[in-house]
This record gives sequence, C-alpha cells and structure tokens, in this order.
Amino acid sequence: MEEAIIKVSELSIWSGIAAVGFGILFNIPRKTILVVFFLGLAAGLVKFFLIDLNINIVLSTLVAASFVGILSSPLAHKVHHPPVVFSIPAVIPMIPGYYAYETVLSIMSFTFMEKDPQKRMELMASIFFNGFTTIFILIAITIGVSLPLLLSRKETVKKNDGK
Amino acid sequence: MDKLKKTADLLLDISSLLMVSGANTNRINLSLTRFATTLNCQAYSMVTHKTLVLTVTDNETEATFTRVKKIPKYQINFSTISSISRASWSALSEDWTIAQIEKELQTIKSQGRYPRAIVLIAVSLAGAGFCNIFKGDYLNMLVAFISTLLGLYILQTAHNHKINGNIATFLASFSASFIASLGVSYSLGSHPQAALATSVLFLVPGVPLINSFTDLLDNNILNGMVRFTNGAMTFLSIALGLFITMLIFQLN
Repeated sequence: MEEAIIKVSELSIWSGIAAVGFGILFNIPRKTILVVFFLGLAAGLVKFFLIDLNINIVLSTLVAASFVGILSSPLAHKVHHPPVVFSIPAVIPMIPGYYAYETVLSIMSFTFMEKDPQKRMELMASIFFNGFTTIFILIAITIGVSLPLLLSRKETVKKNDGK
Repeated sequence: MDKLKKTADLLLDISSLLMVSGANTNRINLSLTRFATTLNCQAYSMVTHKTLVLTVTDNETEATFTRVKKIPKYQINFSTISSISRASWSALSEDWTIAQIEKELQTIKSQGRYPRAIVLIAVSLAGAGFCNIFKGDYLNMLVAFISTLLGLYILQTAHNHKINGNIATFLASFSASFIASLGVSYSLGSHPQAALATSVLFLVPGVPLINSFTDLLDNNILNGMVRFTNGAMTFLSIALGLFITMLIFQLN
C-alpha cells in the first residue's frame, strides 16, 4: 500500500511538471504557473489513484479531466485569469501517448513486416484495442475538461447582460 | 463614419489576436460583444480560420461599417487571451474610450513570450515527465528529454524560417523519434519504448482538438470541423515521422 502511494505521488509530480512544461509552450501568464502545476498534480493524483483501484483508464481519465474542468471555474475567479489558461495545460499529461505509439507500431508491423497469419491476427487485435483506447481517452479528456466550462459559462453571459 | 471605421478596425484586431492565440469561437464573440457594448455599438462577425468579417452598427445613428481581415499565422499564446479577457471586463465596467482600448491592445501585443531556452528546457522536462508516466526509468527519461529538446529545437527553427506547419511538424517528429530510436536499438534503460513513445508528444495538437470540441458543442460546427481537421493533419504529420523512423530501424 505504502509503495503504491509513493508510486502514485511520483507519477503525479511528474504530471504537474509536464503540465507546466506545456503551459510554458502555450505561454501562460507567469502568475498561473504554480496553479497549473498543482492542477496537473491533482489531476494526476485522481487518475493514478483510480487506476490503482483497478478502474479502467478511460473512466479514470474522464473523472480526472472533469475534476480539472470543475475546479478551473472557481479558480479562474480567484486568480483573475480565464479558465482555459490553466485547464488545458493541466489535462495535457493525460494524453494517451503510449497507446497511440502501440497503435502506430502495430499498423506498421501488420502492413510492412509480419507474414505469419497467427501473428497478424494478434496485430489486428492490438491495432483495434490500442487505437480505440487512444480515441476514447482523447474523447474523455475533451469532454471532461470542456463540459464543466460550457455549463459554468451561463454566469459570465448573465453578468454581461447586466450592463 | 470615422469613428465606426476605427471601431471596426480595433474589434477586428482584437478578434484576430484572440484567434491566433488559440481562443475558441465563443470566446471571440463574447469579447467582441463586450468591447462593442463599451463603445456603444453592436458587432456582428463571421469568424473563419483564415478570414474575419465584421459589421459594426452604431447604436444611435444606426450607421454601419463592414470590414474583412485576413488572420495572420497561428501561435498559441494564453497570456494574450487572459489579458484581453481582463481588458474586456475593465473596459465594460469602467466605460473605456476607443483610445484607452487601443492603448491597452498595444500593451498586450508588446508582451513578450518566454525565452526560447526556457521553453526548450520546460518542454523537454515535460517530455521526461511523460516518459515517467509511461513507466520509463531515469535513463529512458534522459533519452526522452534529449529527443524532445532536439525535436522542439528543429520545430522552432522551422517556424522561424516560415516553413509550412505540417512539414515542420513532420521534421520535428522524425528527428525526435530518430534520437529516441537510438535508445531502443541500444536498449538503454528498462523500457526504451517508453522514451520513443514520449519523444513526439510535445507536438500533439491539444489546443486545436479541445477548441474543436467546444466549438462543436457550441454549434459552431464549421469552425469546429476546421479545427478538428487541422488537428488531424498535425496528427498525420507526427505519425508519418514516426512511421519513417520505425521503417529505418525495423522496429516491431
């Protein structure tokens, strides 16, 4: 159990660092760097904790991304920056790079290298499994991070009408 | 008429700045409405990927003025989005004049980006972080760091030479994955494949894809599809670079 906690925290800290790295690539305001780090870290904690409980990675990603989306609205009011500024960098570490890589690798082997029919069947399975997992995780990230933002936007519009 | 012309130019400038910085269509329309309300007129816009069409109508005289503007090269900049959003709120609550808004816009435009070296190191650290997430050990993370560093350096250089964006992405993806593949063929570390998988992740078009989704949900279907296609093209360029590396190294 203790080992799992250490592992999850290490992964989460690296998630936070990855989030900040992408934030700097997107030129986020200096004052939001710390917010992005902790949001990325929190998202990592949620995701890896759920995965540790043997919950499917797509569902874990959806929950973690929604967590970021829900948290970013009140945070935006607190630090006076629009929510996209820190919600998008914070979910970037959840991109399913390894599944995407496996998909590309399997497609390559299937098309150009493997001749044995049995192994080709395995590659087919790998292409479908990894490919669809990639797509579903990407959808989970976008839905998770953007739906709370869309829902919370009513307030902003209302304030605007007041003028 | 002169005032309307100035207003139209200003609003077009603001929307094109938001567009290239990576704002979604709804945010652009919202900012337009806020600034137009401040300047006592109404703005109707058509936002596309390459061109903006805008008509402003004066609330009192009902005179209208229409302008079209070409959108410059895209470069994601969240600081700009944030500053414009804050300016739009202050403008609305403090009743700014055109001159005030113009001055603020100039300040926003003159804000610099992070220095190139800092971006390189931060993104490479992000690459190393990704590698850790994909179960790489510290040696793999080092490989991921170096390949991301080189790939991003090539991407930035290509952008500075105004090379087509997809070709730049392809070159960056190819060079980053090439370096990481060296790690695989010498089997460095416990999980060299993780370094290869992460080496190209800095190219992933996260902002266009998330914006595409919010645009689609907002019923800005055309813009959503354009952004999606844009992201898909980037994905194809990344995959092509990775494909060629895998062919060269005969990975399977």
